[in-house]
Amino acid sequence: MTTASLTAARLRRAKRLRRWFANTGWYLVLISFALLTVVPFLWTALMSVRPTSANIFRPGRAPEIIPYPGLIGWGYGQDEARREGSYTALPWDSSLPEGTRYGWWRDFTPTFSESFKRIGLDQFAFPATTVNYYRVWTQVSLPRYFVNSFIVAVSVVMLQLLTCSLAAYPLSKMRFRGRDAIFYLILSTLIFPEQLTLIPSFIISVNILGLANTLQGLIIPFGTNAFGIFLLRQTYQSIPDELIEAARMDGASEIGIWWRILLPLIRPGLATLAIFSFIGSWNSFLWPLLMIRQEQLYTLPVGLAFLEGAFSGNLRTVAAGIMVATVPIILVFLLFQRQFVRGLSGAVKG
Amino acid sequence: MVSLSRSETLQALEAGKRRRQLQRLLVAYGFLLPAFAFFLVFLIIPLIAVVYLSFTSYNIVTPPQWVGLENYARLLQDPLFWRGLRNSFIYLVVTPILIVLSISLAIVVNRKLRGIFIFRTIYYIPAVTSVVAVGMIFEIVFAEPSGLINGALLALGIINRPINFLTHPDSVLISIMLVTIWRGIGFYMVIFLAALQAVPEELYEAAAIDGANRFQQHLYITVPGIRPSIIFVAIISSISALKVFEEIFVMTNGSGGVLDSALTLMFYLYRQAFVNSSAGYASAIAVVFTLITLGFSIANLRFLERGTRDNR
Repeated sequence: MTTASLTAARLRRAKRLRRWFANTGWYLVLISFALLTVVPFLWTALMSVRPTSANIFRPGRAPEIIPYPGLIGWGYGQDEARREGSYTALPWDSSLPEGTRYGWWRDFTPTFSESFKRIGLDQFAFPATTVNYYRVWTQVSLPRYFVNSFIVAVSVVMLQLLTCSLAAYPLSKMRFRGRDAIFYLILSTLIFPEQLTLIPSFIISVNILGLANTLQGLIIPFGTNAFGIFLLRQTYQSIPDELIEAARMDGASEIGIWWRILLPLIRPGLATLAIFSFIGSWNSFLWPLLMIRQEQLYTLPVGLAFLEGAFSGNLRTVAAGIMVATVPIILVFLLFQRQFVRGLSGAVKG
Repeated sequence: MVSLSRSETLQALEAGKRRRQLQRLLVAYGFLLPAFAFFLVFLIIPLIAVVYLSFTSYNIVTPPQWVGLENYARLLQDPLFWRGLRNSFIYLVVTPILIVLSISLAIVVNRKLRGIFIFRTIYYIPAVTSVVAVGMIFEIVFAEPSGLINGALLALGIINRPINFLTHPDSVLISIMLVTIWRGIGFYMVIFLAALQAVPEELYEAAAIDGANRFQQHLYITVPGIRPSIIFVAIISSISALKVFEEIFVMTNGSGGVLDSALTLMFYLYRQAFVNSSAGYASAIAVVFTLITLGFSIANLRFLERGTRDNR
């Protein structure tokens, strides 16, 4: 009896151990692939807080891969802070010459380099700085590109939600002549790459509609989306016909049914479409590159692409610009990732 | 009398029905109208216009002039067009690599392991980052000699001269393809993951009882089980490989690479239309490009369809 339970326990332990080992193998695969994904971002982040152009990797010496607070602050006056350890002047300080040397800066390098020396990690560590971020934020109008990208993306989302949800309603819930023909016609447009229509669309937008150098020019050409119509049609079809019939019996108008009954019910589909068109618009590059000549109207990807020219290959400032441009969208994704991935797989299965 | 009134009512009913039908038609087309307006201006008219423009000489400023097949004849003799075509087809190599890697990754993240959601999320991050940002991140990773790869390899003494990822004609295109693969894996992984979760678990158990090892299980159960997704991914990733532009533009700083070594069809279209102002010639490139992608998606479908038939 005891021997039997003992062997059983041993067996169980062996099984657990084996599973643990098997899982460790999987985790090694998972972690190494995660590193492959994350390391380029981490490298960019590391570059963006580098104070000097000295290499992070140096032959015969330890790589400087641990940042600790160095020259931290915002505004002009970095040089004073570097000399004196700290600099504080408020923007409304009238004793200062206009537009210069304001802000808050403090050089933490001495304090932290000491403590890193004490724990023996000083050869791996370097003083991180916010100088690159300050430079990129003031010398390139990144905030403005941000606002432009946001206005464009939100407008495109609103417009597409409107036109697609309107068009998908009759295609899924009304019976009328030519319905299927229209639906397949819309679907078949997905075959054509958008590059095919690029040149005429550009000519129409610029020469006929006068949309060059306007944010509207980045919105209106993307007013509807065949994929969105397809997606929302699927969503509408999951709504029982009886609901709509009952509303029609009660004398509701079609537009009233659409607005008051259907739109709230297709919210998951709308959310998926919104996420897709937001990301698509936020990341689009070629069209804004062609349409916008005025620096004030650049969207984020266009501004980013010109960042390199603006800083003539200063990789640390470019890296700071990349961080400013990518981190918010990654955070938004992390917040909504559940809806996002569910929406994506639903759309593909659809 | 009775029959007459009956046919009258029938007629009235018929008329009412027709009126309602007409009304329903008008309402339906009313709902379709806004989307149709955008399709008309930015899709249907441009589709017709691009074919017309491809037979003209047009610099966008002065009106187009009919030149017949001249643009197409010029294409045949243009070495840069052939270079672009060749590079676009070389770029197709990313498709099988992406499919194999993202299916493998999907199989791994489909296991019920603690914290697997965190990994799935991490793998998806590149897909939500813009191509421009990813391209620039990799310019910093590939930089000479202080980039991540060159810096590390030089410091370790593995190489003594930096690798010219983006500055040598032979390596530019390959480096950019690596970036496309890096950005695509997570995106396609999610598609395959959704498909994998629909494959019934019992099939694997049955195969295991029959003595199939894990690789055989995946080859004979997973792959046929997710065939529709493979077709879908093969098509969309081939088409996006053929039309690659942004990666090329960003990573060669708008130059098309050393000695035009990374020039693809789309990049050449862009250059002809918007740098050289030959919109007519560029339209011909667009038409040829579309014919190639159309043929490609049909061929792709055929190929995989034949595979299904053989299996039965």
